[in-house]
Amino acid sequence: MNVLSCSINTLIKEGLYEISGVEVGQHFYWQIGGFQVHAQVLITSWVVIAILLGSAVLAVRNPQTIPTDGQNFFEFVLEFIRDVSQTQIGEEYGPWVPFIGTLFLFIFVSNWSGALLPWKIIQLPQGELAAPTNDINTTVALALLTSVAYFYAGLSKKGLGYFSKYIQPTPILLPINILEDFTKPLSLSFRLFGNILADELVVVVLVSLVPLVVPIPVMFLGLFTSGIQALIFATLAAAYIGESMEGHH
Amino acid sequence: MANSIMASSSKPLIFLSSNQPTRLPQIPKFSKLPQIPKPISSSSDLRTKTLSFSSATVKSLALIAAFAPPSMAEAMEKAQLFDFNLTLPIIVVEFLFLMFALDKVYYSPLGNFMDQRDASIKEKLASVKDTSAEVKELDDKAAAIMRASRAEIAAALNKMKKETQVEVEEKLAEGRKKLEVELKEALVSLEKQKEETIKALDSQIASLSEDIVKKVLPS
Repeated sequence: MNVLSCSINTLIKEGLYEISGVEVGQHFYWQIGGFQVHAQVLITSWVVIAILLGSAVLAVRNPQTIPTDGQNFFEFVLEFIRDVSQTQIGEEYGPWVPFIGTLFLFIFVSNWSGALLPWKIIQLPQGELAAPTNDINTTVALALLTSVAYFYAGLSKKGLGYFSKYIQPTPILLPINILEDFTKPLSLSFRLFGNILADELVVVVLVSLVPLVVPIPVMFLGLFTSGIQALIFATLAAAYIGESMEGHH
Repeated sequence: MANSIMASSSKPLIFLSSNQPTRLPQIPKFSKLPQIPKPISSSSDLRTKTLSFSSATVKSLALIAAFAPPSMAEAMEKAQLFDFNLTLPIIVVEFLFLMFALDKVYYSPLGNFMDQRDASIKEKLASVKDTSAEVKELDDKAAAIMRASRAEIAAALNKMKKETQVEVEEKLAEGRKKLEVELKEALVSLEKQKEETIKALDSQIASLSEDIVKKVLPS
């Protein structure tokens, strides 16, 4: 966050904020029953969901024994997700593949859509379309779901005995163990949010400064970071679930 | 909790803590924000609308708020990075929907399909190992057949050799007999000729001796 504030700070000092037209944290609001929602996040998330569901339906509609291009790719992705879940959760990873896989795919496609899809063509009255993971609401929603998931995993596996892990090595560690339940979703959400927002900001600022050639390596770096962040989020979620499911020895 | 982050868009994102009230009037150009000074007095009821973070985040945000220049605060008012609202639960619902839909469309069908294919490939591999035993049996049979046929051939060869040897010996014996007979005949005829020639010579001897006597003894 300090990095972010510094970048905004220097931008303002140099008077670039107005020139480049960088819009940080501006939202396009819809009113739903007296509540406000960030419309740009919802629109892009719908597009991401449509991309995921559509491509999955197209590729897996009629599975062949010898896979063709699309099916081959989706089999590769599924193997990858299963591999990640199995290494982190262990032998009982089966029921968690949909959760881990959807976390990975949703974050990955969201991040890459922010970098690759030409959202800027569609003009909004306020704010602009970008990756859904660019918004703190999305990342916090995913992180909270992860928290719920690992609590559910632990409780369904061990019942109320799950809570004995809070005093596991010694009862002295009780406050730290409780604190962990808050730091986990916090670190998950802020890591993703900060990385994606910073990445998009860097690209936008560089484009506004030097519109040719120079931002391209940074864009590729952004694609790389996006993929890594999706993998980190999914892996950590799986690790938390596995941690709460494993028996204490 | 002295510093909080605002949840709604129409109000400033960050307002300073009540023990630093002197800083706020220094912020210039608040034509857009006439309501800024008010929240300090009414911050208690505003707090009920705000979302709070853990202490670490609040501290960092407090640092940003305390040391940022006035223009920063203005920018942050425009830029609401930590604007929690109904988007969050909607994203949760969307994510759950996506999870179940992808499970129905992608993970379960393709996963089952892949598992079945793995199982069938393993079965086929196992069956291939079984046929290798069959191949061994067949190999052994073939070797046995080869050995038997070789023995047969050897026996037949021996038989043929014996038969031909007997034939050859027979022919040889015949030939010898013929030769012996011819030899005997030839010998017999030779003896006859010998005797004839001796007889002829005897008669000639008599005449010759008469001639000699005639020549030697003058008559």
